[in-house]
Amino acid sequence: MSFEPKILGIACNWCTYTGADLAGTTRLQYPQNLRVVRVMCSSRINPSFIFKAFQLGADGVLVGGCHPGDCHYNTGNLYARRRLAVTKKILEFSGMEPGRFRVEWISASEGNKFAEVVREFTEEIRNLGPQTKFKIS
Amino acid sequence: MSQTVTPFLEMSQAIMEAGGEALKKCYQCGTCSGTCPWTPITHFNIRKLVRYGQLGLDGIEEFMWGCSTCKFCVDRCPRGVELIDIVTAIRNVYSGGGMLPQSLRAFVGSMSARGNPWSGDQAKRNDWAKDQYPLYAPGTEYLFWTCCTVCYDPRNTKLAKATAEILKLSGVSWGIPSVEVNCCGESLKKVGDLELFDRLKSANRDYFKANQVSKIITVSPHCLAAFKKDYGEDYEVLHFSELIARLVQEGKLSPKKDLGGVKVTYHDPCYLGRHSGVYDAPRDVLRSIPGVEFVEMERSREQSMCCGGGGGGLWMEKLKGERLSDLRIEEAMATGATVLATACPYCITMFEDSARTLNVDEQIKIKDVTELFLESLGINIDEPVVDTCAL
Amino acid sequence: MSRIGVFVCHCGLNIAKTVRVSELAQFAATLPDVVVAKDYKFMCSTPGQEMIANDIKEHRLDRVIVTACSPLMHEQTFRKVLSASGLNQYLLTIVNIREQVSWVTHDIDEGTAKSKALLNGAVNRARLLAPLTSRVIDVNPDVMVVGGGIAGIQAALELANTGRKVYLVEKNSTIGGHMAQFDKTFPTLDCSACILTPKMDSVMQNKNITLMTSCEVSEVKGYVGNFDITVKQKARYVDHDKCNACLACTEKCPGKGVSEWDEGLVKRKAIYIPFPQAVPQKPIIDRDACTYFIKGKCRLCEKVCEQKAIDFEQQDTFSTMKVGAVIVATGYDLMDTKPLVQYGYGKYPGVYNALEVERLFNSAGPTGGKVTMRDGKEPQAIAILHCIGSRDKNNYEHCSRVCCMYSLKFAHLFKEKTSADVYQFYIDMRAAGKGYEEFYNRIIEEDVKFIRGKGARVAESADEPGRLIVEAEDTITGKFIKLPVDMVVLSPAMKPRADSKDLARLFNLSTDKYGFFMERHPKLAPLSTMSEGIFIAGVCQSPKDIPDTVAQANGAAAEALTIVVKDKMELEATTAMVNPASCCGCQNCVRVCPYGAPFFKEDKGVSEINEALCKGCGLCASVCPSSAIIARHFTNEQVLAEMEGLMEF
Ligand SMILES: Cc1cc2nc3c(=O)[nH]c(=O)nc-3n(C[C@H](O)[C@H](O)[C@H](O)COP(=O)(O)OP(=O)(O)OC[C@H]3O[C@@H](n4cnc5c(N)ncnc54)[C@H](O)[C@@H]3O)c2cc1C
Ligand code: SF4
Ligand code: SF4
Ligand code: SF4
Ligand code: SF4
Ligand code: SF4
Ligand code: FES
Repeated sequence: MSFEPKILGIACNWCTYTGADLAGTTRLQYPQNLRVVRVMCSSRINPSFIFKAFQLGADGVLVGGCHPGDCHYNTGNLYARRRLAVTKKILEFSGMEPGRFRVEWISASEGNKFAEVVREFTEEIRNLGPQTKFKIS
Repeated sequence: MSQTVTPFLEMSQAIMEAGGEALKKCYQCGTCSGTCPWTPITHFNIRKLVRYGQLGLDGIEEFMWGCSTCKFCVDRCPRGVELIDIVTAIRNVYSGGGMLPQSLRAFVGSMSARGNPWSGDQAKRNDWAKDQYPLYAPGTEYLFWTCCTVCYDPRNTKLAKATAEILKLSGVSWGIPSVEVNCCGESLKKVGDLELFDRLKSANRDYFKANQVSKIITVSPHCLAAFKKDYGEDYEVLHFSELIARLVQEGKLSPKKDLGGVKVTYHDPCYLGRHSGVYDAPRDVLRSIPGVEFVEMERSREQSMCCGGGGGGLWMEKLKGERLSDLRIEEAMATGATVLATACPYCITMFEDSARTLNVDEQIKIKDVTELFLESLGINIDEPVVDTCAL
Repeated sequence: MSRIGVFVCHCGLNIAKTVRVSELAQFAATLPDVVVAKDYKFMCSTPGQEMIANDIKEHRLDRVIVTACSPLMHEQTFRKVLSASGLNQYLLTIVNIREQVSWVTHDIDEGTAKSKALLNGAVNRARLLAPLTSRVIDVNPDVMVVGGGIAGIQAALELANTGRKVYLVEKNSTIGGHMAQFDKTFPTLDCSACILTPKMDSVMQNKNITLMTSCEVSEVKGYVGNFDITVKQKARYVDHDKCNACLACTEKCPGKGVSEWDEGLVKRKAIYIPFPQAVPQKPIIDRDACTYFIKGKCRLCEKVCEQKAIDFEQQDTFSTMKVGAVIVATGYDLMDTKPLVQYGYGKYPGVYNALEVERLFNSAGPTGGKVTMRDGKEPQAIAILHCIGSRDKNNYEHCSRVCCMYSLKFAHLFKEKTSADVYQFYIDMRAAGKGYEEFYNRIIEEDVKFIRGKGARVAESADEPGRLIVEAEDTITGKFIKLPVDMVVLSPAMKPRADSKDLARLFNLSTDKYGFFMERHPKLAPLSTMSEGIFIAGVCQSPKDIPDTVAQANGAAAEALTIVVKDKMELEATTAMVNPASCCGCQNCVRVCPYGAPFFKEDKGVSEINEALCKGCGLCASVCPSSAIIARHFTNEQVLAEMEGLMEF
């Protein structure tokens, strides 16, 4: 059997989660490798969530929030943006392939973009193969 | 003819598979046909072509050759339908079935046998140059891509020379390709012979690769568009007018000779304008020439008319009254210009033909921007060209 | 040990088609702490809800998981079931296997597998949930309406008539919006002023409405039930408290400005009211046109004003209003057609856009209602071009919905007021409203010519100077048409106001890619937004005609009422709190919170969070270096447990 990656998504309630719902309402098809955790805002995401996800064996982690400046809590995702950028650096520093962690700004009206991103990301992770760097078995 | 038709969806499927995917997006608004320069003067109707294609109706072959791929309709279509792809796909599907018109047979035959559309001897591709110009070799910066038309068509060898002479003065490192190269294949693709196009393309790509070509200068906008869009490689391609405009701006070339107040208008070649988005460079070049009074025609830039030479049109016979180049000459003359400048060998051929058949070749001269520019540098190459013709 | 009940919904076939629901329920039953797991056709139906309620009692459940559609759909529904059964509503978890599973795959194996993983995560998280108490807040009874077009006017009147106090904020110096520019309205052809002006006057008369013209919202604070909204009153240079609307000033003024109201067709004075029925009837000074402001000399208006109302020193002022709910109704602009060079708008004087033509028809307009063109002549032939920039990938993809109809209206009015031949160039005739097809028929019978083909180009006539040629294909005959006309009318796309994205930011609204405001749900909550307490009405949401706009305005008024009729309301309990024992006093939380909820207590050396201000984003929790902040309902433990569950399968 071909490698089916496990991908963890963390999406903010107001934009990306709603955008994901819209992808469903419009019946767009995308691979089922993604499992989404809903948080109220991308700013809730602590870097430790990301590290933990990889320890749990996620092959890829996708974070979604509102477009910078459009956060439901005004400035929330501006903080998130910086923090997630640092998280990405740390991951790369510790030898993780850069492609395994991705942050995307997807608004509530961008069901299409959500589906597109999931398709692309899943494909990318599939090509990268299983993640073993952080995984604790 | 029966008035009853039955949709034949396999045909429509075949067209979509040949690259006419966009068929299904069309909502038959008629913007394309209302925009297409052929609609008022011929039976060709691009909207109907799409409609026939959507349903796979019989009779499509009657008018599939009308399009000159000028891209006017594509730019205007509210649904983003890539109409040229559809035209190409339909031609591909039908000419595969042996429906190539007589006038195009020689064209395709020559492409297949000799790698150029003019039945020219491949070994003589560079004869126009008379060994006066450098051959491209690895390490040279620019490949000066000589279009088949400027290599073989006697009128257009002038253009090849003019370009080469300017390059000589420009100070850039350049060379012409060896005789082994083929036609870029742009028109062949639009005529629908996708298989042969791919063959020519890969041979050329092999040449580029072997000679480490990464920067190309073209005289013909058709080669420009092909290298940019169809060759699937990231070459840096410049049209010659862009290069001159840059050199003038950088002060590396400065036209001195006053052309004595000649009134010049400029025709945007479809493949330089709409296909490649180059509108200003040729105008800047014309404006840099002392003693040129530049006037615009009513339809210019994005709205420019088509000369009719694209999409295989150059090789097809058109009846009087059905020639766009005739209308364009009239439009140019209405501005009072005595020179119609352009920047494409196809346009030159089409317009010179028209000027002759309309009997106005004394009143209006057809020139490439390059030729005018060379003239203003004080260099005259007309004599040797006449010699070549005499040969 | 918890006692968890899992309820898997089929949603008819919506879920059951691509998720094996009974297998999912059986799987749930095997998970630790799950004491009951069931599947059912429609969980949100009354029997479905009763089933959950019964099981809560019978199995003494202390956690409920509903595996169904998105929490954005039915979280509230099921929370109520829990409350009614004596269980804290925050002990509910929803697993979204419809929008995010069954609708996005065709593969039942994949759908089932993913649903299991999601459910497993939910069970993990449910165990760690804690009961929370909702906060009860006082609700401010007043409402603000932003935008004084027909939508805003209607909403404000409805609310005021129930006794609410309404602030109606309008950017222009008059209310009325686009409808006040029209002469007649389709499909009934009743006179626009006759139906609108009385409403505008009622706004003025209504003691419950505070009309704020020449005003813009500059800051929004607070939350549903308690907004603090700052409004900028732009300087009018006329003291409206003193002005008695005699308009002597406007007669004497030598200044000339461009009349926006007449779509730039004519000039107006520098001190002016936009049109005779304007509400309020009091003038303002246009600084850029005023001779005094430009040259430093004039002040004629000041001399003639007996009320001493002119005040050249007036400044912009700001005031803050407290309201419980807001309705945004800022309407639309027409797209600028100049960039569409093929139609020659701005190049040929004979080419008009639709709103300009509305002004030509209007008896209070620049021509007194006569159809005379810029050159003073009456047109002999007129072409109306539909779908300019609408239904167009290169511009706006939507159908603007009203232009087919107003183009028919124009045709009628042209026939009535001139002897011209009238042609419509259209792609599809869209006449789906009540009475619209009948209206279409009527116009056909008035002998208007319909050409099915989109106008492709407008050019100057070579043979008849000054005339225009419209080029198009008549797709019915397949013939190329060159039609000589005197006048071309473009029906351009309706687009959101230029500042709609700024407004969206102020009120925290989502927009579509063009800037139309997004509703909370396209079918079930078309007037609500993602921001609790903010509602939308009219064309700012999407193109629509006056009947639909008015219906939405009434709806939005009713929605706003549901909030402000109560004096108290419950807020989400999902706020953050500081555990003082772990707080190191760094005040990171104080610095980052967008709402200023955390504050530092000097005496104790730790921070605390004011729950009334906290909106529960969780930002502070993730910047707290000592993990002292607990983001309720989204605690670290809860999130990590859910992740663990998701990654197990
Ligand atoms: C040419 C034309 C003809 C039409 N004819 C008809 C017809 O015959 N019959 C019909 O049913 N429909 C017709 N319509 C549609 C009609 O115009 C709309 O349905 C209606 O005007 C929508 O009302 P509205 O209040 O939503 O928006 P608008 O009329 O646009 O009103 C919005 C108001 O909000 C104000 N505003 C904007 N931004 C702000 C801000 N930031 N702060 C404060 N205030 C702001 C504006 O100044 C304006 O007063 C026509 C449309 C056009 C273009
Ligand atoms: S313009 Fe586009 S949509 Fe309209 S008929 Fe032509 S191809 Fe179809
Ligand atoms: S590409 Fe040009 S010639 Fe061909 S159909 Fe379109 S407008 Fe006509
Ligand atoms: S309402 Fe009619 S004119 Fe307007 S965009 Fe829709 S189809 Fe075109
Ligand atoms: S961020 Fe945490 S430690 Fe710092 S003051 Fe706030 S609660 Fe205390
Ligand atoms: S969760 Fe924290 S940052 Fe967010 S609103 Fe509440 S106190 Fe402020
Ligand atoms: S709410 Fe979406 S990123 Fe903050």
